[in-house]
Amino acid sequence: MKPQMITLHINGRTHYVALNPNLTLLVALRDLGYTDVKSGCEKGDCGACAVFLNGVAVNSCLVLAAQADEGEILTAAGLGTSEHPHPLQTAFSDAGAIQCGYCTPGMIISAKALLDHKPHPTDAEIRDAISGNLCRCTGYAQIIQAVQSAAEKMDAGGEG
Amino acid sequence: MENKNFQVVGQITPRKDGVARVTGQEKYTVDMTLPRMLYGRTVCSPYAHARIKSIDTSAAEAMGAVVLTFKDIPPIRYNERIITVEWALHKDHYILADKVRRMGEPVVAVAAETEALAEKAARAVKVEYEPLPVLIDPREAMKPGAAPLYDTVMYGDKEIKIENNIACTRDVIEGDVDKAFAESDVFVEGTFKTHKIYHAQMEPKSVLCRPEPDGGITVWATTQSIHNTRIVLGQIFDIPLSKINVKRMAVGGTFGSSIQMNSVVPIGVALALKARRPVRLTLTREEDMHDHGRFGTDAHIKIGAKKDGTLTGVEMEMIADLGAHIIQGYSFLGVSIGWVVSLYRLPNVRYKGVGVYTNKAPGCAMQGYGNPQATLAIESLLDELAEKLGIDPLQLRLKNYVGLGMTFWGQGPMVRSIVWSDGVPELLGKGQEIIGWDKRESPDTKSGRFRRGIGLGRGFHTTSAGAPQPGDVIDFSGALVKVNQDGSVDVVTAMVDHGGGTWEAIAKLVAETLCVPLDKVNVVPSDTFSTVYDVCTHATRGTYAGGGAAVKVAEQVKKEIFETAAHYLNVQPDALKLRMDHEQGQAVIYVPSIPDRKMTLKQLASRTWSESWKTIAAVDSYRPTNCPPAYVTIFLEIEVDTWTGAVRTLQTALGVDCGTVVNPDGAVGQLEGGLSRGLGMALYEDNEWNDQGQLLSKGYWVDAKTPGIMESPALKDLNTHFADTYEPTGPLGAKGIGEAALNPVPAAYANAIYNAIGIRFYELPITPEKILGALMEQENMVKEGVH
Repeated sequence: MKPQMITLHINGRTHYVALNPNLTLLVALRDLGYTDVKSGCEKGDCGACAVFLNGVAVNSCLVLAAQADEGEILTAAGLGTSEHPHPLQTAFSDAGAIQCGYCTPGMIISAKALLDHKPHPTDAEIRDAISGNLCRCTGYAQIIQAVQSAAEKMDAGGEG
Repeated sequence: MENKNFQVVGQITPRKDGVARVTGQEKYTVDMTLPRMLYGRTVCSPYAHARIKSIDTSAAEAMGAVVLTFKDIPPIRYNERIITVEWALHKDHYILADKVRRMGEPVVAVAAETEALAEKAARAVKVEYEPLPVLIDPREAMKPGAAPLYDTVMYGDKEIKIENNIACTRDVIEGDVDKAFAESDVFVEGTFKTHKIYHAQMEPKSVLCRPEPDGGITVWATTQSIHNTRIVLGQIFDIPLSKINVKRMAVGGTFGSSIQMNSVVPIGVALALKARRPVRLTLTREEDMHDHGRFGTDAHIKIGAKKDGTLTGVEMEMIADLGAHIIQGYSFLGVSIGWVVSLYRLPNVRYKGVGVYTNKAPGCAMQGYGNPQATLAIESLLDELAEKLGIDPLQLRLKNYVGLGMTFWGQGPMVRSIVWSDGVPELLGKGQEIIGWDKRESPDTKSGRFRRGIGLGRGFHTTSAGAPQPGDVIDFSGALVKVNQDGSVDVVTAMVDHGGGTWEAIAKLVAETLCVPLDKVNVVPSDTFSTVYDVCTHATRGTYAGGGAAVKVAEQVKKEIFETAAHYLNVQPDALKLRMDHEQGQAVIYVPSIPDRKMTLKQLASRTWSESWKTIAAVDSYRPTNCPPAYVTIFLEIEVDTWTGAVRTLQTALGVDCGTVVNPDGAVGQLEGGLSRGLGMALYEDNEWNDQGQLLSKGYWVDAKTPGIMESPALKDLNTHFADTYEPTGPLGAKGIGEAALNPVPAAYANAIYNAIGIRFYELPITPEKILGALMEQENMVKEGVH
């Protein structure tokens, strides 16, 4: 197998990478140091590795890196920083929606994908959007609340 | 002394590590890398029980991989969990398998330059196996003539023979059950079966090891105990502990799965020592599902009672499915009867517990450590007894529960202490009101497709394994607290936070004790080199024992602050007080009667730095002498769809008596998470094996049925509440929550389902298939006129 050159635009930075064509986007991102993209199962079961690829939320373990060539990728770390967290990140932190935090970056990506299209989601829509993400700690109730409260804040502040 | 005028404790505050976790900056072991790091992989057995006939590693070595087989590892049998003292510890485990006893058992380990090359090298290793009969059912495994998993294991420093795959037994007799039963008016009994389920912690277990030039090793590991991990590594590799440093990491949930040193840790160390380069080794999700699970239990329990509902005694026989290795089986047998006799006053006890080897994932503690299994049985039987006697189940519980001033067993027969705080009546009263208990109707009044039921489960978990005398469980913590030159405070502890907010609780307790604003108190990164011993974050002991140690040491620091400040202020140390000054963002040391004699902690620390040449600091260990029960009561209203067998949770009342509530939002999160995992355990989670020891889920997480968001009740229907209590033996009155939050949940579901459809289930999970099957049988019996 010969390495292949690909270009990834990640959180506004461009990376030129040589990698084997059988490697997943998850592995490529983590090897580049984007460890905010969490590896949970590598089988598409848990959603911990969710990122935006060209505006669509995907499980990065189910996408080959080569398929993302020239793609725009947004990860949880690209969504907000310690100084300027995204309203969803603030809401997750404030609503007790995090415990161990391992599922959180992926959850927030899934939640943003929802709010991008539905700024005022119903309870059922939130559940549907998060149904591909597992969380073992919280029992989900506070995650639903965090998404609702972020939606309200973003609506009021015109953010996001 | 009870003082509830707290300034920090009990306040909802932004979690210190919140920003790091929501922006993905928090580093877990699997996120760590080092220059020149190799990637490890293991060659895992495709058989559940087999002799290893030959291993050919030449192709892997030709690829440049570093390879380890059984002959390369120290020939030491160990137990990866050393919370149990040496004399009660069984050891049957080598770093790599001498013989395969479960699917996925690591037989060979490799390390290579890239993950892909490591995978390729692992696949190039040829292992020839001779398959042996596979034992899945403990009852089959115990039969004479069944294929033995082990000939001998180590017990302490003695080698003992294993007969009929029975790893250990435990008998407990108290009082006189025969006499108690002879004097009883009524009996309830049943055989309750619970299954092995998967912990399903989000973080895959991982280790990163760096060999050091002095022959030592630095280890980053997924673990709940950095010190125990170091001690076991020292025993296996014969390296002085002063040369082994285990780093305390953020952990992506464990639920008990990393109480013991994980299987990847010594393999990673052995690879790194051989390669003389850093090695990272991470289990795949499938490997992890083969690596550990909850203990399965099969218990027959009989309880006697008087006509007035007074319980008289209990007889219990339990078989525990230990899986392929004994990690904590002997202790498990002890605690299981402990949970029973600590729920209700059962003065006469006859118990026999048997731990049996099978060719399945090794059982290890999973939230509750046998408690949800025991509580399912007892709470189900209490409901049956209440029905027999015509007593309200809630009143029957109030009449018999182990409460204030009574002795209970925190962790098996050797860990006994007295109950000093008891919120049970309050919890039951509140839950009764929220759920509408008094409107609860009997199952025969219900008909139609959707039938609703209300159920109650009450339970507890021991907070720590503290006791007045040493027993078979080690339980102590330690802390170092130091005042920095700007008046901020470092708390250095080995205690791991597996996600529930233990570090936040410790910081709050120290901030409260020293009157330092919370943003200036930090639980700092630590490792085994920089900390005194802490046994483990388990047994719901984080806040109580880890926080207890921090408060004990903070009190010593406070004394030192007063003695030092007394010189500068020219007053008696005993005249000094501390208060939190939010405007200055400082602790202020002052004399109430002389207003101008005061200084901030920053002024004091700055002067001790530049003038007195000392750091105000203290370090000490803390051994709890009690293990107070954190009580939980769960009331549920559920709806059974009699056409599909599905159970929907409509409303809950989740109450906990955790003493002083340190992190209110975190405490609510513990209750809600406990409900979710308890719901999964009760209704559908299963990590089933076929008769060849293969996982039916094939390593797919969703197929093990970890609960997702669709099954989760809405926040508004959860109704969490706290009892207003103060635990006199706890740090600022606190007890734990953790495991208690799950323990009564499966029982509450079983009781609610009975109340909905009049059918009692004795085996988990209570799946839609089982419910439909039982409903059909019920219908047939009605048709045939059988009652």
